[in-house]
Amino acid sequence: MSAAAPEVRRRRNRLLVLLGIFGPGLIAANAGNDAGGILTYASAGSQFAYRTLFAMVLVTVGLVVVQEMSARLGAHTGEGLVSLIREQFPLRMAAFAVAALVVANLGLVVSEFAGIGAAMEIFGISRYLSVPLAAVGIWAAVVFGSYRYVERVFLLLSLVFVAYPVAAVLGHPDWATVGRQTAWPHFTAAHGFVLLVVALIGTTITPYMQLYQAASVADRGAGPADLRTIRIDAVAGAIFADLVSMCIIIATAAALGGHGPLASAQDAARALRPAAGSAASGLFAVGLLGASALAAAVVPLSTAYALAEAVGVERSVSRRFSEAPLFLGLFTVQVAVGGLVALVPGNLVALLVDMQVLNGAVAPVFLGFILVLANRRSVLGEAANGPRFRVVAAVCVAAVAGMALLVLLQTVGAWTGLAS
Amino acid sequence: MTIRFLPTAARGLVSVAGLAGRPVRNPAGAEIGRAVDVVVRWDGAPYPPVTGVVARVGRRRAFVPADALSGLDADGVDLSSARLSLTDFERRDGELLLLADVVDHQMVDVDGVRVIRASDLYLARVGAWRLVGVDVGLQTLARRLGPARWRGRPTPGRVIDWAAIQPFGGPGPIRLRRTNQELHRLRPAELADLLEDLGRRERDALLGALGPETAADALEEMDAAELGVLLRETPAADAAPLVAEMEPDEAAEALRSLTEEDRSGILAAMPAGDAERLRGLLAHPEGTAGGLMTTVLVTAGTDETVAGVRDRLRSEVEHREEIDAVLVVDGQGRLIDDVSLFELLLAAPDARLGDLVAPPWPVVVDAGAPFEDVVDRLIDNRRSSLVVVDGRRRPIGRILADDVVDALVPGRGRRHFPRLLA
Repeated sequence: MSAAAPEVRRRRNRLLVLLGIFGPGLIAANAGNDAGGILTYASAGSQFAYRTLFAMVLVTVGLVVVQEMSARLGAHTGEGLVSLIREQFPLRMAAFAVAALVVANLGLVVSEFAGIGAAMEIFGISRYLSVPLAAVGIWAAVVFGSYRYVERVFLLLSLVFVAYPVAAVLGHPDWATVGRQTAWPHFTAAHGFVLLVVALIGTTITPYMQLYQAASVADRGAGPADLRTIRIDAVAGAIFADLVSMCIIIATAAALGGHGPLASAQDAARALRPAAGSAASGLFAVGLLGASALAAAVVPLSTAYALAEAVGVERSVSRRFSEAPLFLGLFTVQVAVGGLVALVPGNLVALLVDMQVLNGAVAPVFLGFILVLANRRSVLGEAANGPRFRVVAAVCVAAVAGMALLVLLQTVGAWTGLAS
Repeated sequence: MTIRFLPTAARGLVSVAGLAGRPVRNPAGAEIGRAVDVVVRWDGAPYPPVTGVVARVGRRRAFVPADALSGLDADGVDLSSARLSLTDFERRDGELLLLADVVDHQMVDVDGVRVIRASDLYLARVGAWRLVGVDVGLQTLARRLGPARWRGRPTPGRVIDWAAIQPFGGPGPIRLRRTNQELHRLRPAELADLLEDLGRRERDALLGALGPETAADALEEMDAAELGVLLRETPAADAAPLVAEMEPDEAAEALRSLTEEDRSGILAAMPAGDAERLRGLLAHPEGTAGGLMTTVLVTAGTDETVAGVRDRLRSEVEHREEIDAVLVVDGQGRLIDDVSLFELLLAAPDARLGDLVAPPWPVVVDAGAPFEDVVDRLIDNRRSSLVVVDGRRRPIGRILADDVVDALVPGRGRRHFPRLLA
């Protein structure tokens, strides 16, 4: 199979080699700007105006640290994170990590289908029609193999969101406030605020992104020698992704800041008006649809792959899905569950943000595993975390865990009537 | 084939995963510690003997040698003597820690020609305690997740005899001390599948164990993208001998997919002659006849005898898959005819090559001919190969039909997670 290929394909391969070293970090981190991401950032801007910007700075630090560790693990071991966890931890702990991953990803799938429903509602199409159709369509495209073409379309559609940075500038936000809220440390323990910060963490630092980062670095044959490039790519990708996220917050805050929680995707679309005028809501819907549909296929695939990796049959998910019943089954179940939950009556945007909170609550588990792996000299040798990095990374993971715990306590408190 | 006794021994199997954390008892039945790991000596013999058990005694990791064991089962480890000199465990050469190095890790099932991940390992008493099988069952994973009393219960539903296993293992870069002899009987394409499926460490160990010649044959069969990844992540000094052993056209093709830096690194680490030949091939643009050809050619003058040419072919046996004919050239090295091995076989030993020159005349292309022309000429003429000639009709290479087939068929690699997205 190694003989010459037609020129076009070869040229593409060479491009992939280049992108392989420079690209994975950018792709991985920007996967966070999916349906859940966009509506969560928009919610933050709508509900708290610029006040979450400082939290986003902290989240960015966390994302940089985590993505860098994942890239280093991928480059040094040449393995995916899940197989590393299976090899390096007792089976029960590995199972716990995988369970956390499955929960987080399932939450994401739900939010992607909610995103599809919300986007179609802007066009006046009921979600009871759009969500089931989308679920069946995406399932069929993946299983019957035409997904690669469909994917390009979705990817193209989701590019609409480059309009956000433009809108953030044209929307005349109060730059003084933006600067102050970004640079000045501040925090409120109000339940709504904490909940949203956890949602921001959950949507920005998603286990799925770390998996992708490590796997793509390993898969493209980047080794310890390429570590410098890989690191730059991972860090730059994370920072770029979060700059886009912050633009979404700023644009939304300028348009409808302080109006309380986002009631619908239609509202969120108003933030694009300075850039797109009357086309804003149509444009927003198209972008949301693209981003949601893209992730609605990719996230269940990544879960199925991770499970296969954990069990040790990842290599047999090869070639055709029809030859891999376990893989196919897992994919099907996730799409079905995601579609069904998105049909539960209620506010789609709220459901979507709740799913990010779930992600944020589960995130510390997976981050903890990554931290322990990256600390181990038996795994990374000389490239293991140094003493200072260990402290920084541990503080990041602890902070994420602390926020998740706070939300949990507040929620339990609210249920039992002890807190407001 | 090795003798397989696993089925008869199924009754007395001891689960290694189940031993973790089980009590270690003295002859009086009192617990003195907990089992941590089982150590075997792996010397290439089909069923490695257990050399001892690592136990946690107090805060120490102590080594209990096999001759001090009287019992080993799901309930725990029994010592034969009350007097036990506890030595701290230190890994000796050739020793594998079954729980740390082998369970949950990748290994090769040579009989099934596939890469597996061990869910559990089984020991049996065959004279001494020996490692006899690998469990790859899904339900075994479930059992290990379940309550403690399930964990030690063997579930030999899908067990592979250890004699068919090539394990890897040990910390740091793995160097295989002994390879499973059956591994050397696999076809290059089968080895290629295994190489594609193994993790980086395991794959490097396997490549090292196969030796450059066998390894190069396997590399030629690998998916182009996989091979590119392999060459990128292998240090140039290790990759160079492999590439040098590959057929020149395959090697050039593989090198083309690398960056300039990686490519020149590998070429620099190679014997000068091999590197020169590859540089020549790489000078031809890809997608042309020159970029597709092999430079392994056998040429003969019109005066040479059939017997003489046969002798020369004997020394080219390592290139047998690249040579399907002998080129007959004139005094200036220009192509006269392409005599197939079949014609050569039927000819009288004392016949001269000039006597065999006859239609059908060879099908030739220029080195610069585009890939589509190569395909067309091959289809029109139904040959097994084409001869590539320079401006003065001197042969410089040959394009084999199977290489054209490879180039026409789109890559069919497995789906890696990152490639699910791109």
